[in-house]
Amino acid sequence: MLDLLQAVMDGVLFGATYALIGIGFTLVFGVMHKINMAYAAASIGGAYGGLLILKVMAAPAWVVFLCAFAAGGVLGYAVYVTCFHFIPLSSPLATLMSTVGMLLLIDEIIVHVTAGMPQNYPALFDDVMWRAGEFSLRGDLLLVFGVSVLCMIGLLALLYRTKLGLATRAVSQQAVAAQLCGIRVGRVNAMTFVIAGLLGGIAGALIGASVGMLSPLLTTPLTVKGLIVTVIGGLGSIPGAIIAGLLVGGFENVLQLYRGVAERDLYVMLLLFVFLVFRPGGLFTPRGARD
Amino acid sequence: MDFYFGLVQLVGVHTLLGLSAYIVLLTGQVTLAQAGFFAIGAYVAGMLTVLAGWHLVPALGVSALAGAITACAVGFPALRVKGLMLVIATLAFGEGVRLFFFNFDYQIAKGEIKLGPVGGEGFRQIRFFPENGWSTFEVMLFIWAFVVAIMALLWWFDRSRYGAVLRAVGEDEAAAQSVGINLTAVKVSAMTVGGAIAGIGGGLYAHYTTHIEHSSFNVLVATFAIAYPIVGGLSSVFGTLLAVVFVQALLVEGLRDLGDWRNLLFGALIVLAMNLRPRGFLDPQALGSLKRLFGGDRSA
Amino acid sequence: MLDLKGISRSFGGVHAVSSLDLTVGEREIVGLIGPNGSGKSTTVNLITGVFPPSSGIVFFRGEDIGPLPTHRRLQAGIARTFQNIRLFGQLTVWQNLWVAQNSPEDRARRGFASRWLGGQAAARDEIEQLLAFSGLAHKREELAANLAFGEQRRLELARALAAKPRLLLLDEPAAGMNSEEIGQLRERILKLREHGMTILLIEHVMELVMGVADRIAVLNFGQKIAEGPPAEIQASPLVRSAYLGGEA
Repeated sequence: MLDLLQAVMDGVLFGATYALIGIGFTLVFGVMHKINMAYAAASIGGAYGGLLILKVMAAPAWVVFLCAFAAGGVLGYAVYVTCFHFIPLSSPLATLMSTVGMLLLIDEIIVHVTAGMPQNYPALFDDVMWRAGEFSLRGDLLLVFGVSVLCMIGLLALLYRTKLGLATRAVSQQAVAAQLCGIRVGRVNAMTFVIAGLLGGIAGALIGASVGMLSPLLTTPLTVKGLIVTVIGGLGSIPGAIIAGLLVGGFENVLQLYRGVAERDLYVMLLLFVFLVFRPGGLFTPRGARD
Repeated sequence: MDFYFGLVQLVGVHTLLGLSAYIVLLTGQVTLAQAGFFAIGAYVAGMLTVLAGWHLVPALGVSALAGAITACAVGFPALRVKGLMLVIATLAFGEGVRLFFFNFDYQIAKGEIKLGPVGGEGFRQIRFFPENGWSTFEVMLFIWAFVVAIMALLWWFDRSRYGAVLRAVGEDEAAAQSVGINLTAVKVSAMTVGGAIAGIGGGLYAHYTTHIEHSSFNVLVATFAIAYPIVGGLSSVFGTLLAVVFVQALLVEGLRDLGDWRNLLFGALIVLAMNLRPRGFLDPQALGSLKRLFGGDRSA
Repeated sequence: MLDLKGISRSFGGVHAVSSLDLTVGEREIVGLIGPNGSGKSTTVNLITGVFPPSSGIVFFRGEDIGPLPTHRRLQAGIARTFQNIRLFGQLTVWQNLWVAQNSPEDRARRGFASRWLGGQAAARDEIEQLLAFSGLAHKREELAANLAFGEQRRLELARALAAKPRLLLLDEPAAGMNSEEIGQLRERILKLREHGMTILLIEHVMELVMGVADRIAVLNFGQKIAEGPPAEIQASPLVRSAYLGGEA
């Protein structure tokens, strides 16, 4: 029983990173009604980007995280330009395919630059362990959770307190009307990608920090899990992505405890299918859209 | 020379993979599940020839059936899931199949060695071709016999009412319903046919590479499956073939010296292609021009 | 032919249609008019089965078609056109008509293989007839998306006819047409009735409705407020106030 609760707790804390990735997917979907398949790869790429600062100088972990944050934003913009800016809206397949191409590209660039070797990732508080009775709370996981929550708060503040956020929400509801009101849709879309990218960069860095290392092999499972989180949470819903991320994190860790790593992912798929059968709209279907 | 035959074999098998996605894409369902059906076909055919001693041709028949049945089973729940959710659901299905085979052990002792799939290690010694004295050239022809037959079948569909109905469903489901088209029948039938084609492709794949494992059927393969028809253009089956030839011949042959850079270039190529030609290489205009060039025919 | 009894449909708190009774007899042309938001399109969607009524029954040729999904209603003999044209843009004119040949007669006459896997030749005669009726024969190989607006409207109508329906629901077919086109549409509708078609015409363009309908029903806020021959409706103060608001 104790093991179970410990697993749930650790899983939920780590699940905050899945929540961030889910938010990133859902943000782009909400605004452009498209899935950016390259998102998780760009997030991991951002995390790698954070490591670049270490080539130049010995920097503390939080600086690396900050660089990952920035690198994520840059990559987000790059994906926007290569996949969404030029391709006409009437060709959704082309956009989808293009993001797949970027996924491959980013993955391969990482492999080449690092010669396929996993890279160590700096962590904060990895030696800190709080004990509360029978439970232990890993310091680094608490940090992961804490930073993620801060990012989510920041995002929600951005969306609901700033003009850019208002413009973003307007575009996601009625792009043409928004344009007619003077909103520069292209710029809003680009900014959405940058913001999602920033979140992704941090998420990638946090994943690297809690696992201890980064490897390009993380990309595919993260993409799949991120998409599962997005679907379970409801495409386009940010609160949904948050809750679903924590849910998947906890669920996954519990299953790892009982069935081992090999079978764990299979059960996450099953969780998705259960949702698709019983609640295809996800936890929170965003209001609006009378079909 | 054997190298070139091997390349043509690869192109053939990948074309089948692409064609299995082509027919499903026509109905507007974006599927990342084809690698899963491909995997099922591969393991089924392999197990039948290696463990049960079957001849390859009936084994491929069973592969096709296994692919078709699984696809049909996937096709029905897929109807409930719209658009991009379907992409994710089929992606998860494909990964689920891969993980299944990652954990799948079934071995039989033949003489001194044990044969059959072993979880993560995969399924080795699928030696139907070498054991029966097939040359690389003969294997190539065998594979291409299937490719040509299936391309002919799909080309025939395209010219028939079924093909037009598939595309109508892909265009506008509500309008299709209102003119009496049964969406369920059309979408599930396309998925089933795609599954059968993938099953055959998988069976052939298992035998020409002689060794399959779970990672041979990963997300990358699933995306190759839809990449070929999308990049090639959905207006014609030849687009898919063209895309496979272009990608595999260009990447493998033309850039042999660049070795490991192939996947990177594949990614860059897709991004470039989609920006320059969003409707694929053989988009409706290109197809129209080609038709006029070759005298043209009355049917679309 | 068509009998709506007590049909209601609500979306959340909005009562789009309330207790509607409407009958369309064989070979009648009935017009359905009303201001925007009065429930005309909802009524069409209820008849074709896009969604079920909250209450009430739809009878077609004496049978309750409630359990039938949309594509089966077409096969039962109800065809419709769309307010905003929904053609298959990437298919040719010919193909648009071809995919719509789903009537029970076609299915009985020709075998499964011939209907689905046969080439264009088998369906040629009937489609050529439709093309001639719509004046689109010269455009048969053109992609539907490339047609002019008027041609698209004619194709939309032809496609509805391809399934040999008994009842034709025309959803605002005259929208965006000029007087000459409206005149041609009127002729076409009358000719269809001569050939035995029953028509329910939803329309805003009074020029068309008044000139072609035997009987007109008027909706306002989801309820039928008047019904009668065109002259009566035109003179009705109730109808006028519904459209223009305020006292008659």
